[in-house]
Amino acid sequence: MSCIFMNNSMKNNRSVTFIFGAFAFLVCCFLMNVSLGSVNIPVSEIIHGFFTGEWGKASYEQIILYYRLPKAILAILAGIGLSISGLQMQTFFRNPLAGPYVLGISSGAGLGVAILILASSAFGLGLGIAISPWATVISGTLGAALVLVIVSLVAWRIKDSMTLLIVGLMFGSAVSAIISVLSYFSGAEALKLFTVWSMGSLGGLVWNQILVLGLVIIVGMVPMVISIKSYNAMLLGESYAKSMGINPTQLRWLMILSTGLLAGSVTAFCGPIAFIGIAVPHVARMIWKTADHRILFPASALMGGILLLICDAIGQLPGSAQTLPINAVTSLIGAPIVISLVLRKNFSKEF
Amino acid sequence: MKKKAVIGRNLSLGYQKGDLKKEVLEKLNFELFSGQLTCLLGPNGVGKSTLVKAILGEIQPWKGSIQLSGKDVHEYSNSDLAKTLSVVLTEPVSPGNMTVGQLVALGRIPHTGWSGKLSMQDKEVVKKALADTKISYLEHERLSEISDGQRQKAMIARALAQNGQIMILDEPTAHLDLINRYEIMHLLREICQKQEKAILVVTHDLEIAMETADQFWLLTCGLPLISGIPEELVLTGEINQLLPGDKFHFDPEKGRIEKKIGSRKWKIEGDPISSFWVEKAMDKSGVPPVSEVIYVEKSPFSLQYKGILYSSLSDFLSFLLA
Repeated sequence: MSCIFMNNSMKNNRSVTFIFGAFAFLVCCFLMNVSLGSVNIPVSEIIHGFFTGEWGKASYEQIILYYRLPKAILAILAGIGLSISGLQMQTFFRNPLAGPYVLGISSGAGLGVAILILASSAFGLGLGIAISPWATVISGTLGAALVLVIVSLVAWRIKDSMTLLIVGLMFGSAVSAIISVLSYFSGAEALKLFTVWSMGSLGGLVWNQILVLGLVIIVGMVPMVISIKSYNAMLLGESYAKSMGINPTQLRWLMILSTGLLAGSVTAFCGPIAFIGIAVPHVARMIWKTADHRILFPASALMGGILLLICDAIGQLPGSAQTLPINAVTSLIGAPIVISLVLRKNFSKEF
Repeated sequence: MKKKAVIGRNLSLGYQKGDLKKEVLEKLNFELFSGQLTCLLGPNGVGKSTLVKAILGEIQPWKGSIQLSGKDVHEYSNSDLAKTLSVVLTEPVSPGNMTVGQLVALGRIPHTGWSGKLSMQDKEVVKKALADTKISYLEHERLSEISDGQRQKAMIARALAQNGQIMILDEPTAHLDLINRYEIMHLLREICQKQEKAILVVTHDLEIAMETADQFWLLTCGLPLISGIPEELVLTGEINQLLPGDKFHFDPEKGRIEKKIGSRKWKIEGDPISSFWVEKAMDKSGVPPVSEVIYVEKSPFSLQYKGILYSSLSDFLSFLLA
């Protein structure tokens, strides 16, 4: 171990220490998130319950195991998925304002859910309100996959990555327009249901679903991990990357696959969650002061988990029975981060 | 006999857009030698970048072939090509969060495993590239905090760390000040001589190229590529191909481009160097021909015209133009 550390420079050491620090902080946030809520459960009680299986009150066990624990784990998974796809998009497109949704993934998932909820109401298919969480997830996944396939077919024909970015954004707008049309013709009840979905939610998922999402996130990270060197080369732009033996076309497909799985699945399970994907990679760059993706990858994943846990804890309005939609909280926290980033004088230089 | 690193034979290059075929260059023949600094000169839009792209294997030639170290460029795999050939391009790079050391380390990408982790040997190469470009002291500086000249040297160091036999630089001295232009070109000359690399530099700096290059490639509209030793191209006058029309010419006496001065309008006598600059200033100011002789004294500088003494050139000019 000491040998490895001696080989690394001081700076590398500092980055690794920061990663461990961030991990410890993630654990703290996790415990805090589980402990806070309409009923405050002391952290000592939670740790005791985890390890012994004995809970102070029977209601604690119910609340923790079937409500707060899945929600906290979902927050971490969603934070990881969105931040990692945001990081990939920002480096690939060399655009600091790119995020996981620039290729129209969230609009696609939205379209899937909209067709499920709104169209069934508009055409009187009678599915109405009795929609199971799995149905939402499946329709969201199908919608995201559909848009991604169309964008990929276009990507096949175009060489310039800036064109791909514009095409992705345009597809997003077009799909949103279809959703607007569907909303216009659907009933009040269905409209409310869809609006609530589009505000994002971390609650209401069962353990099986968490497990599926966890697996998809792990699979989705594989393309990023195997092309981590290519992302470092992409920092100098496509031409330089090419001159160093990197194949940008192959990287583009890996990126579409990875972000499709990560952002697509998170959006299908939780609804669109704003700002995390754009803001977190910047926060990681600011804290670690590096452009090296071998550091930024774990750093963004950890920061994503931490930020979403904190947002969720705030959204629960500790001490009250009310909760705020997660999308509202992330935007309220994410927007000031992005604004302060853009206002920094040498923001574009440091990207 | 020098080793030929790049050989182009009967090359025709161009772009195709739909049915429209646009030929940019045709019937090019060239050889790039190891251990020599070659400068590619030519006016804007003549196809220098197209030629560079073809050597990088980015565009397929319509006719003819390009061979790198005896093998056709399109037979190379991406990673093998990256190990043979490295580049410094004109496009700006701006990952400001990166240090110079990290930038140079990126040059090792074709040589490392999937994670890009540097071995001890890779680190040695990076250190050597920094030392060869004389920027070891910048290793821990961030790219956003160094000057343009330093950044250009860092880009050259990155290309060096890639450790190919061939280096191609597209206008590496554009936007740089005079000193940096000289430094970078001399640096490149030193590198190619010491390390037996074949270096091709696309440049517009004729005077600096004249001083540092072993070979010139001249590319002009509608003519085949002219290659040769710079001095020889001056002696044969072929260098003037770069300067179409008859307004400017390359003055072999002074080694620089000059506006052609027709018949001498003024009689100037005295120290030859001083006379030369006085004549130049008068020409630029559009002084009409005068009949009397102008006498020039070198130190202290003075001018005598029609019996009046002028201690500075500007006084004299304002008198003549008044």
